[in-house]
Amino acid sequence: MERLGVRGPIPWRTATVREVVPETSHARTLVLDVPGWPGHRAGQHLDVRLTAEDGYQASRSYSIASAPELDAVEITVEEVADGEVSPYLVEDVQAGDAFEVRGPIGGHFTWSVDERGPLLLIAGGSGLAPLMAMLRHRAARGSMVEAHLLVSARSEDNLLYRAELPTLQPAEGLHIHVTYTRSTPAGWDGFSGRVDADMLRAVAPPPAAMPRCFVCGPTPFVEHVANLLVDAGYPPGDIRAERFGPTGG
Amino acid sequence: MSDERHIDGNGVGGLLAEVLGVDPTTVRRRCGGCGDVRALAEHRAYAGAAMVLRCPSCEDVGVRIGTLGGEIAVDWRGTFFVQRQLV
Repeated sequence: MERLGVRGPIPWRTATVREVVPETSHARTLVLDVPGWPGHRAGQHLDVRLTAEDGYQASRSYSIASAPELDAVEITVEEVADGEVSPYLVEDVQAGDAFEVRGPIGGHFTWSVDERGPLLLIAGGSGLAPLMAMLRHRAARGSMVEAHLLVSARSEDNLLYRAELPTLQPAEGLHIHVTYTRSTPAGWDGFSGRVDADMLRAVAPPPAAMPRCFVCGPTPFVEHVANLLVDAGYPPGDIRAERFGPTGG
Repeated sequence: MSDERHIDGNGVGGLLAEVLGVDPTTVRRRCGGCGDVRALAEHRAYAGAAMVLRCPSCEDVGVRIGTLGGEIAVDWRGTFFVQRQLV
């Protein structure tokens, strides 16, 4: 019988910034050393807590972007204008700085190569982070499970992991598509505009292939894409969604 | 209430773990309103004076998480029962 409560609350642990990696003009990845970190599964998130000198505390949730196999925990933070936490993490924090984290959290929006595929991953903006953890996990394990990624970004400058995406391995079985909603690079012959039914049909395995669908992004994006998937005949039980709200930051 | 102000119950897993001692995001809750059984992670979370989790099927208020006398309190009103896989 399960012994509920034996583990106790998920403790706050000190995270020290090992490295800061710029991603876009307003997003960056923080590579964290977290002594005692119990490990995570691709797709999980953590809470960050900042404490001001006067004791005021603010916490926010961030998806873990790194593969479980990495010896560090990475989060990618996009700055939210007027946010309480993200401006500090994107503009101020430097290697050697420390703050508190709690995690990993969430057992619903996760995937491992030990589970079945194919994968259909659809990201809006920084919703790419937890899906990147899945693809990095796939790479770390050398899995050739079929994976289809569709990323919606405003422009090339707003696309996270822009250099890494085309280099992800194993290339066999991996299909990456990008759609730009505001402006396209010169000579771009890929998708543009918001995700729609035609785009889904072009990139996704058919419902009969029973893909595991993971959708992550701002709430309106996720609602829109999840509805498209259901309308296209994908079983709701195979669609996992992770929304981040318009407030907070 | 098909507005866009909510996030997922997944996002309040850390907060609920403070009270329950375990990450509850995969715990399934049977709604007292419509009877649907859905994971807490799938619920819609609205931040206000209290964090409110609403049923993703009928949008009834299912769980409220707030502070009460300096403690975190969870009110499971609107819930028939919760279930979790044995491990």
